[in-house]
Amino acid sequence: MDFALLLQLTLNGLIVGALYGVVAMSFVLIYKASQVVNFAQGEFLLVGAWVCWWFLTEWQLPFWMGFLFTLAFMTLFGLVLQVVVLRPLIGEPVISVIMATIGLGIFFQALMKWIFGVFAKPFPPIFETERVSVLGLEVQTVYLASLGISLLIMLGFAWFFTASKHGLAMRATAFDQQVAQSLGVSVPKVFAMSWAISAVVSAVAGVVVGVVNGVSSALSFYGIKVFPAVILGGLDSVLGAVLGGIIVGLLENWAHYIDSQWLNWGNMFQIAPFYALVLILLIKPYGLFGTRNIERV
Amino acid sequence: MITRKTLLAAAGALAIAAPAAAQDRIPVGHLMDNSGATSDVGLPYGEGVRDALQWVNRTRNGINGRPLDVSGFDYGYAAPRAVSQYQAWTGRNRVVAIQGWGTADTEALVRFVTRDRIPYVSASYSAALTDAAGRSGRRGVEAAPFNFFYGPSYSDALRAMLQWAKQDWQARGGQGTPKYVHMGANHPYPNSPKEAGEALARELGFEVLPAIQFALTPGDYTAQCLTLRQQGANYAYLGNTAGSNISVLRACQNAGVQVQFMGNVWGMDENAMKAAGQAANGVVFPVRTAATWGEITAQGGQAQPGFETVQAISRMSDTTGSAWRPVHYLAGICSAMLMVEAMEHAAQNGGQVTGERIREGFYARQNWVPRGFEGVCNPSNFAPDDHRGTLRVAIYRARVNGDTSQGSVAELMRAGTMRIEPVTTIELDRRRDWLGW
Amino acid sequence: MATLSLHPAGDYRTSYRADTTIFPTRNSRIALWIGIAVLCACPLLLGRWELSLMINIGIMGIAALGLNILVGFTGQISIGHAAFFGVGAFASAWLHDAFHVPVWAAIPLAGVITAIVGLVFGAPAARLKGLYLAIATLAAQFILEDFFARSAWFTGGVAGRITEPLTLFGFAFDREESYFYVVLFCVVVMFAGAANLMRTRDGRALVAVRDHYLSAEIMGINLAYYRTLSFGISSLYAGIGGALYAHYLLFVSVEAFNILFSIQFLGMVIIGGLGSISGSLMGAAFMVLLPEVVQGFADLLADSPVDRALKIGASISYLREMAVGAAIVLFLIFEPDGLAHRWRLIKAYWKLYPYSH
Repeated sequence: MDFALLLQLTLNGLIVGALYGVVAMSFVLIYKASQVVNFAQGEFLLVGAWVCWWFLTEWQLPFWMGFLFTLAFMTLFGLVLQVVVLRPLIGEPVISVIMATIGLGIFFQALMKWIFGVFAKPFPPIFETERVSVLGLEVQTVYLASLGISLLIMLGFAWFFTASKHGLAMRATAFDQQVAQSLGVSVPKVFAMSWAISAVVSAVAGVVVGVVNGVSSALSFYGIKVFPAVILGGLDSVLGAVLGGIIVGLLENWAHYIDSQWLNWGNMFQIAPFYALVLILLIKPYGLFGTRNIERV
Repeated sequence: MITRKTLLAAAGALAIAAPAAAQDRIPVGHLMDNSGATSDVGLPYGEGVRDALQWVNRTRNGINGRPLDVSGFDYGYAAPRAVSQYQAWTGRNRVVAIQGWGTADTEALVRFVTRDRIPYVSASYSAALTDAAGRSGRRGVEAAPFNFFYGPSYSDALRAMLQWAKQDWQARGGQGTPKYVHMGANHPYPNSPKEAGEALARELGFEVLPAIQFALTPGDYTAQCLTLRQQGANYAYLGNTAGSNISVLRACQNAGVQVQFMGNVWGMDENAMKAAGQAANGVVFPVRTAATWGEITAQGGQAQPGFETVQAISRMSDTTGSAWRPVHYLAGICSAMLMVEAMEHAAQNGGQVTGERIREGFYARQNWVPRGFEGVCNPSNFAPDDHRGTLRVAIYRARVNGDTSQGSVAELMRAGTMRIEPVTTIELDRRRDWLGW
Repeated sequence: MATLSLHPAGDYRTSYRADTTIFPTRNSRIALWIGIAVLCACPLLLGRWELSLMINIGIMGIAALGLNILVGFTGQISIGHAAFFGVGAFASAWLHDAFHVPVWAAIPLAGVITAIVGLVFGAPAARLKGLYLAIATLAAQFILEDFFARSAWFTGGVAGRITEPLTLFGFAFDREESYFYVVLFCVVVMFAGAANLMRTRDGRALVAVRDHYLSAEIMGINLAYYRTLSFGISSLYAGIGGALYAHYLLFVSVEAFNILFSIQFLGMVIIGGLGSISGSLMGAAFMVLLPEVVQGFADLLADSPVDRALKIGASISYLREMAVGAAIVLFLIFEPDGLAHRWRLIKAYWKLYPYSH
């Protein structure tokens, strides 16, 4: 047993897991508001990161400005997607909606490769000191910042859903669309808003990962990692999504630890979350925090 | 039903009519990866091949007056797609030779090209392809009489780097036994030199650590780097292409890993240096050509006859002459020219350009450097039972001193922010027991 | 619906037999036989490339039909169909290599093995529905892919496995011209099988499960049994398709059976028409021909200013992927019932031409 390595891997898992949590949270937001399972969540990260990269390198904008432009772009992107593609599909069976988001995912992944090429591209340095040491693990400053940002986003969500008018409207819609509508909530507006917010939050995560690893098509894999996270936490629980993300991050790193110390199989890192997913689906399909659907005839 | 049938019948009629017009052109297949897992290096290599063949058509009027009819296909690094395209090429285009790409697809096609007698110049340098007569008797290695490639095999390149590592360890006054680790995806291409490298490392007195796996795509490999640091490896071989190696290099830099990375021929280049930044500083890797683009375009340096030719080829797709051509582009030119000269040999002695006669062309010359490419392409020697074209491995080191996020590769290389400097050249023995693995 | 019927004067069916017939008119039966005869003549008329496209359509069509039984008829979603397709391909190659089973027997046996694997995965899946099942099959896709890469005894590991061509009485079906007949035979058998399955009690039970599973259960249909069965049948089709694919390409490798391939199968089902047997073949044809059409457009534009501005030549494979994604989305928005529905509309239009209103 090598406890130093285990500790470092755990810390790494927490940091990456928090990012998974943020992406999972934006996934759950869409699901809660509009009952759409978004298979294109990873492409939100991809598009956001590439657009930000483009502002920073091609336009040579300072980071804060490029970042704000990116968020503005992503708001629009989310809105347009919802209005153009998802709105006509309201009322269609689950399979149609799932396939539409999968189709969008393929489309945007290929489009980004076409526009920006296949090379991983680095972001210009953003922080003065690139990394700091925490418990013997060199951690990128931007990761710490992302941890902070994740916390801020989570707090923002908490406030949004408990105190703001739009957040309450969204919760009402998630609870019962007809009742919400009769109380004067504009359901189409709520749907569009949820997509916009989700796109923006995912883009933040995309930029963070892009700054650390460089921007490349690998970002869209976060969209797949989100599934174990949300199934663990429960599809409709924001808190569950965050915890699920952290658990998946830890699980990956612990699986890697077991693998590197004893098994030497090589890819437990990638595959362990999916085994966990299947297990959870069999034992507790509604997740740790999800609401049990009660079926009535 | 009827409309689809008519359509297909019409398409069929067209297909029958088409080959008649292209009678005197020589059909050649060109398999590329412009969009798959290895597209980061596949793109420049494929451009090199394409530009060289186009240049042959324009300036040399093809092969003895017969222009090449190159049919390119981007297969996205999926071996089955390459196999189905091969069947289209042999069935529809009747190609006489193929410029190939990856390890998995090349090895899958070995049996087919042997059956159909089509010389296959791959960009996979898997040592299994060098056993042309199938005499090594190794399990899973079969005769590959129609497979050729330009440059040292993956295994030989790794053997040379390990010999260098041994010298380097002694020169640095290292204490104890150095530790060696193989890193790469579970995929035929990174796996190809694994056994050869680990065997020689043991022979040379390295301690061989359990291999570390990471995917062929970019990602977050911090966990792998933490393991690498904990293992205490001194020399690590990176078996993947540049794209994912960059991720490992950056993650390892962040994790504070002190290890000498050794890239494979596809593991490091100018684009990767730009993307990895200072994390790429110090990585050693083999270079297949006698000169890099910086030397070729240098003003007032020692000009070699090949420099002018290569720049002319580069202008095929870049009329401004400002593009920076990475090492893979040059290797692409050399492998295309080997095929072209073998075809010329086939055409000279009697005219018919068939697969078998092209194969003879590969054996026609000793210390073979394509005409007009002196100083760029390294000499190759092929024998009917030994397709190890070269055993000389030139090892270079990547140097990065400064921020690489702004400016193009060309600017960074010209400014000296990024450099590729020669370390040493290792000449391996042509050992019989190293043939085929 | 009456306007879509081929009986211009309305429905006059007097027996259940007439109600469940596959081909409602004599002409449609004649058309079928003529169609098969024309297809039999194809190898004499068409080049190898056109034949290879048609072989691909046939193989994909069989697998897509399997997925359609699961998705279109039973209402269960699977994003892991390519993995089952892979099981069939590897199983057939493995049976031949390890036990020297002749290829003509290995293909149906591979189908049976895949069906068993499908039942194993289907039994727990019967508890899940809708998007939970979608996510579970997504996980199965990754787990099976990992298994393929790891188990060298079965798949030949990451290097893949070289397969032998189908031989029957000493004749090798290793060229497009001959293999075409093998695929044609399998297509006819498998499609006839599916069409007849849907007329049986079991077939109607599957549809009932899809349409309203609570009502179905109340009517005495065992939900878990039929959901598992549907998984099994769907895997059988995928396995046969995969085995045919393995002995056509003469090489199988884990790389082929990835998530994108699974999505393409779903695309075929959506584009062809959910719950339509002939639609599965139309969807497969669409998905196989789409990349060729994109390639054709790129070739037309080659060396034009548009090509240079958009780098079309160098990005053809992104364009192919984008076309797949866009086709799925556009069909869902503008033609959610798929090509099969459009085909019926066209037939109805011509039947009444020129007085279509």
